[in-house]
Amino acid sequence: MLQIQRPAEKKSLDELLHFVSARAADRGFSPNRVREVELAVEESLVNILTYAYPQSSGDVQIRCENDEERLVLAIQDHGVPFDPLSLPVPDMLAELASRQVGGLGVFFVRTMTDLVEYRREGDCNVLTLTFGRTTPAAGG
Amino acid sequence: MDYSVQQLPDATLIDIKGRIDHKSAKDFEEALKSHLGEDQTGALVLDLEELEYMTSAGLRVLMIAAKTLAGQQRKLAVAALQPLIAEIFKISRFDLVLKIYPTVEEALQALSPGAEEG
Repeated sequence: MLQIQRPAEKKSLDELLHFVSARAADRGFSPNRVREVELAVEESLVNILTYAYPQSSGDVQIRCENDEERLVLAIQDHGVPFDPLSLPVPDMLAELASRQVGGLGVFFVRTMTDLVEYRREGDCNVLTLTFGRTTPAAGG
Repeated sequence: MDYSVQQLPDATLIDIKGRIDHKSAKDFEEALKSHLGEDQTGALVLDLEELEYMTSAGLRVLMIAAKTLAGQQRKLAVAALQPLIAEIFKISRFDLVLKIYPTVEEALQALSPGAEEG
């Protein structure tokens, strides 16, 4: 099982995303699908930096499970309890003047993955993202 | 992320290349900032043909730009979206935030003063 661990900071994003895109490429994912994987992981990592380690620092670890067909990534941190799936999704049909500025990160995680699950394990947050070969919206 | 600016008679055209992620979102914000002034007129058109990747941080910058421009009765448009970018705009209903065109030519045509409101 392959994994990577780095300090949870913006500087680590490039390396962490390179790790996940390599795992997606290993499985023969299309370039577009690889970018979708990167996007979902980047959004997840940024939320960890913001909400799990708001005033502290720590590491984040990404484990790639031994599934040959699907890409299953477990993203783990030791921050405060933080369930990204509980963040509200903005109202995307709101009129421009009243539409919320942010909040789309988790929405992209949900739409780019086939499955996303959160659990608190001891003093860790574990977010597991499962990616099939094709974009879920495409009916794959 | 790289960009170049072309000032046209009725619009400002900004060609954006590369990736807009959480690190380069600030650069993207800077690229747009000087064209959001109240002393300016005309539409702002972004040529995204060579933009390969954008995270929610980029959409956030665009949302703020769209709101600012709307307050000045100016339009914000994007053109020539790559598949991933088209997808994220679609699922986040950014068609309600700004105008989306298949080509820069169509964008400039539609936004020129003589054109009918779309």
